[in-house]
Amino acid sequence: MAGNVNLAVKLGNLIFKNPVLTASGTFGYGIEFSKYIDLNRLGGFIVKGLSLYEKKGNKPPRIVETPCGMLNAIGLQNVGVERFIEEKLPKLQGLNTHIIANIYGTEVEEFVRLAEILDKEPLISALEVNVSCPNVSAGGALFGKDPDMVYVLTVSIKKVTKKPVIVKLTPNVEDIAFVAQAAQSAGAEAVSLINTIAGMVIDVKSRKPFLANKTGGLSGPAIYPVGVRMVYEVYEKVKMPIIGVGGIYNANVALQYIMAGASLIEIGTANFVDPTISIQIIKGIEEFLNEEGVNSISELVGTAHG
Amino acid sequence: MRLKIVENSQIAKDTYVLKVENPALYGILPGQFFMIKVNDFNYPLLRRPLSVAGFSNTVDFIFRVVGEGTRILSLKKEGEFIDILGPSGNGFIINSSKKLILVGGGIGVAPILYLKYTIENRYRLKCESYFGFNTKDEVFVNTGNIATMDGSLGFKGTTVDMVQDDLDKDSLIYACGPLPMLKKLALLCFEYGCEMQVSLEARMACGIGVCLGCVVPTVSGDFKRVCVEGPVFDYEEIQWQEM
Repeated sequence: MAGNVNLAVKLGNLIFKNPVLTASGTFGYGIEFSKYIDLNRLGGFIVKGLSLYEKKGNKPPRIVETPCGMLNAIGLQNVGVERFIEEKLPKLQGLNTHIIANIYGTEVEEFVRLAEILDKEPLISALEVNVSCPNVSAGGALFGKDPDMVYVLTVSIKKVTKKPVIVKLTPNVEDIAFVAQAAQSAGAEAVSLINTIAGMVIDVKSRKPFLANKTGGLSGPAIYPVGVRMVYEVYEKVKMPIIGVGGIYNANVALQYIMAGASLIEIGTANFVDPTISIQIIKGIEEFLNEEGVNSISELVGTAHG
Repeated sequence: MRLKIVENSQIAKDTYVLKVENPALYGILPGQFFMIKVNDFNYPLLRRPLSVAGFSNTVDFIFRVVGEGTRILSLKKEGEFIDILGPSGNGFIINSSKKLILVGGGIGVAPILYLKYTIENRYRLKCESYFGFNTKDEVFVNTGNIATMDGSLGFKGTTVDMVQDDLDKDSLIYACGPLPMLKKLALLCFEYGCEMQVSLEARMACGIGVCLGCVVPTVSGDFKRVCVEGPVFDYEEIQWQEM
């Protein structure tokens, strides 16, 4: 049955062979997963958030499990963009999939510099701009909560790169669609949502927050209804493609995001539980299309509306 | 991999031995661990890291029931299948020129048992082992020197109290157990000038090096992942005062 349905999706000037991407921070630099899956089968993958310089990340404990989810405060530990280009990127040569770089800075200038540097890398297909990390003191979600800042940041990044720009939004706001509109007006090719939901777990023995960072970002199956609702809201207000992310652990939830209005989806925490889950979800989506007699995935985008 | 459970039985208070069919893939280094999914549902979500306590026709784990995940695991029956990923991590390095001392505390005894087997049966070397528990009820070994905190079996006190007279500069300690035990051993090693390889425990989500949740502070100032750069570390590499 496989192959007679059309899973391809267009975003900016890019064609994705299928709508399944893997989320930044859950997929390393891609290389780590090549022993479990054929990376070429993915629509694409998004590498761990890159900053201009190496970041050591937060002190442990950094994670704690919650019912059907987990709370994390990694603090964007990464090797920095230069070492990524020198050490990691060459290992990703020759792949027939899209590699998306996720970038993070504390100031607009840092984001711009990162975009300039990565614009020169032919292996990078697009940039995902992280304005939504809840676990760093400066930048992060502070940008993402302010539509004016999102506008200024997106415009500034667009000036220095020809690659499609995806703005990754935080759910920790009053009106996510308003922030998405700011990204659209600034010329972003797409938005991805949601990043993790701010949360806290307290250790009753010590009577203090469990994570060293005190708060963390909630992810996993527990949060998917929040993500689906937000994608639904954003779809009503913007015309650009939406990338749905948050708690996707099977094809059913992936399809819910698509029907809410997502053109593509990202798989995050589920990669931790089963490193082959992305491939299973691609198969599951394909099976659904076959069973339902739908020729193309694009026919399902936003069907929950109206 | 989905592997068949050959045995899952209680061997001490809250302590179980789980044996699964050996997938006949490879050797396993002492110190390495597997990531185990206790059921097929989203609760509990994450896999549990369990270190290997024995390896022959079966891969053996010893675990203590500490929460919902391990409670579910303790109810698994022979013949059921279980989803396991691994082996992960580095492993202990065996140095035949040293006086080998094995120290395990509580459930940390599990990987030390497989190490002991490997040293004695595969390398044909001698080693002295010290296993500590809170009380007699928790003891699940019948080998080595046993210490219990309440003196209900063997030496009364900690393994650290028991082992220290045996240490000298030619000693190489292999240790796994609660953090206070490891910290005291690190101080002793520093004092006696001996070496130590410690297997560390950490909360981890993925066990394959990508979530960056299980890191420990090292003297270089960098964080290292217990699941990939560990779980076994040279004790001098760890920034103990930050642990």
